Amino acid sequence: MNPLLSARDLTMVYPGSATPALDAVSLDVLPGESVAVMGASGSGKTTLLHVLAGILRPTSGTVTLTTAGGPVGVHALDDAARSRLRREELGFVFQQGLLLDELTALENVAVARMLTGVPRAAAEAEAAQALASFGLAGLEQRRLGELSGGQAQRVAIARAQVNGARLIFADEPTGALDSRTGAEVLDLLLAAVTQGRTLVVVTHDAHVAARCDRIVTLADGRIEDDARQTSAAARGTEAQA
Amino acid sequence: MTTLQLARLFARRRDGDRLAAALPLGSFTLLTAILLLVLGGSQVFFRQTGPNSGVYTLLAVVALTLLVVPLFTLGVAAARLSARRRDDRLSSLRLLGATARTVAALTILEAAATALAGAVLGTVLYAATAPLVGLVHFVGHPIGSAMWLAWYWLPLAWVVVALAAAGSAAIGLRGVVLSPLGVRTRQRPGTARARRAVVAGVIVVLAIAASAGLRSLGEVWGLVGFVTGLAAAFACGLLALDAVGPWYVRVRARRLHRRAGDVPRLLAARLILEDPKAAWRQVAGISVTTFVGVIAGAGLALASMQEASNRDEAWLTADIRTGVLVTLVASFLMVACTVAINQAAATLDRARVHVSLDRLGVPGTLLAQAQRRSVMSVLWTVLAGSAALSGVLVFPLVGAAVLFRPLSVAVVVAVFAVGVLLVRGGASVAARLVPGILARPERVL
Ligand SMILES: Nc1ncnc2c1ncn2[C@@H]1O[C@H](COP(=O)(O)OP(=O)(O)OP(=O)(O)O)[C@@H](O)[C@H]1O
Ligand SMILES: [Mg+2]
Repeated sequence: MNPLLSARDLTMVYPGSATPALDAVSLDVLPGESVAVMGASGSGKTTLLHVLAGILRPTSGTVTLTTAGGPVGVHALDDAARSRLRREELGFVFQQGLLLDELTALENVAVARMLTGVPRAAAEAEAAQALASFGLAGLEQRRLGELSGGQAQRVAIARAQVNGARLIFADEPTGALDSRTGAEVLDLLLAAVTQGRTLVVVTHDAHVAARCDRIVTLADGRIEDDARQTSAAARGTEAQA
Repeated sequence: MTTLQLARLFARRRDGDRLAAALPLGSFTLLTAILLLVLGGSQVFFRQTGPNSGVYTLLAVVALTLLVVPLFTLGVAAARLSARRRDDRLSSLRLLGATARTVAALTILEAAATALAGAVLGTVLYAATAPLVGLVHFVGHPIGSAMWLAWYWLPLAWVVVALAAAGSAAIGLRGVVLSPLGVRTRQRPGTARARRAVVAGVIVVLAIAASAGLRSLGEVWGLVGFVTGLAAAFACGLLALDAVGPWYVRVRARRLHRRAGDVPRLLAARLILEDPKAAWRQVAGISVTTFVGVIAGAGLALASMQEASNRDEAWLTADIRTGVLVTLVASFLMVACTVAINQAAATLDRARVHVSLDRLGVPGTLLAQAQRRSVMSVLWTVLAGSAALSGVLVFPLVGAAVLFRPLSVAVVVAVFAVGVLLVRGGASVAARLVPGILARPERVL
């Protein structure tokens, strides 16, 4: 199978820093798989995620994303083009704060659609549908501050998917949640994978990692271990719980 | 550690974003310069001798009253910004174990120190600009050195500015949550009840009655009576505006929200709805200004039509016109500064959101653009509302002025246009700050 995302020899040295945060990392992400990225604090997980998603430009190395229009060299795009790629092709769920407090749940999701040129009425209709499918029906008009952490995170997941992103990046999506709410949020992310999307999730939580197809472990900016899991099939049933 | 030691540590840790650091200082500088210029200018009015000295005194009082509102708003904004700018350092101090009280003391101390430094710089600015203002003609010749205040005004102004900054920092702190996890502006949903509209309605009726009585007053008491009546009508109008303003702003923002077809408009509407009262307060000075512009502008245009009976009266008419225009410019300038400061504060407050949106691929300046739009939309709302209200109060006056003195009216309109551009410039500060925030995202996350 052709990889959806392919990284070769990624090195990232932050300005003013002597040691590289990423050191010759190569990684292929296949379509439809869920990849957990683990490692000690400071091992470069977030940096890797940001480089893969085109948020940061690597010091050297390449990132190639397969899009509907063919392969794109993410590392070589300028700021505006990467910004557009993130907006239109990728979905993001971070620990917190990807949503606007002033907007309602519905508007937060609809805005993602509107930014790609969809008219407001259509965007809001799609957003309402997306929210309903994440169990948020009835909460559409709540402002973000009026939602619980778990609900807000579900809004973020709805937002990440509403544009039809095939690849979703998550950085500690359950980090700020209690374990039960965290598990529910993970269920939703993995449900997206069963629908054919691809997930790259950075996590400290072994329970989260255990439910992914594959665990990539980083140490000092290098890939220390890359293991496919056999028991991941069990995930499908749990996800429906 | 003593508060003083902490304060030193605190001052040394100041680094990073130059613009963000310069803003509070710059705003106190402008505040002081404008304050001194206004005092100097009104001194010229107060010192008038001759047959119309009473009128001049009255005019100076009216002008000062008008300028107090925007001046105060500007002062509060400056103090708020300097309090907010300490956000990151404040929370790390809390983490280091400083008590909330120590942190509050530091904030107030630093606000006062910044204000003092700004005040001294502002005095320099005053000294630099006063000769320019001195070129303005008054009672037939340039004001010149009459603009200069006696020396003792300067330290007095410094102390007042520093104390005011300390005071509003203390008040501002109540709107900010100081926890070890960060400083955040406390969320309080703004209220703007329809009840205000009723209050305003009553005041407007009173004001119309007052302005109807104007002409007879003018016949009985001459110019002094006319001006007194005008001031009364005017005060009523202002009260009405402040009562109705937030409510009106909210109603218009609701409409903007309903009709918003793109993201900047939608966001702008939501930003206003978040706190209509604050949105109103920010540009409330303009409503006052619009009142002056429309009523006095129209009145003066007409007054200049009659042949002045003597030299003093001719001068008085010309001087009132000058005073009105200068007041207009000054209040627009202050509102522009207030807006710039508030927008900067809001942008720094939302630094984290800016970074997050950027990561999602949202164009970097989208939020800043929405912020600017929200300010301008409220500004237009307020301009249109105040102009309409004052136009209704003195409708015949305005109509006649437009018909018979189009040039005078055009000058007033031009001043307004420049003023709007000034405010727009102030509102664009937010967009300037965004690239700096996005360049160093790790500082805000
Ligand atoms: N903006 C930056 N400037 C300089 N150095 C940075 C920056 N961001 C991260 N680093 C450094 O790069 C290394 C990797 O950081 P990264 O954030 O990727 O780690 P992480 O694995 O995500 O850690 P955590 O689990 O704590 O989130 C660390 O040593 C960190 O100090
Ligand atoms: Mg991380």
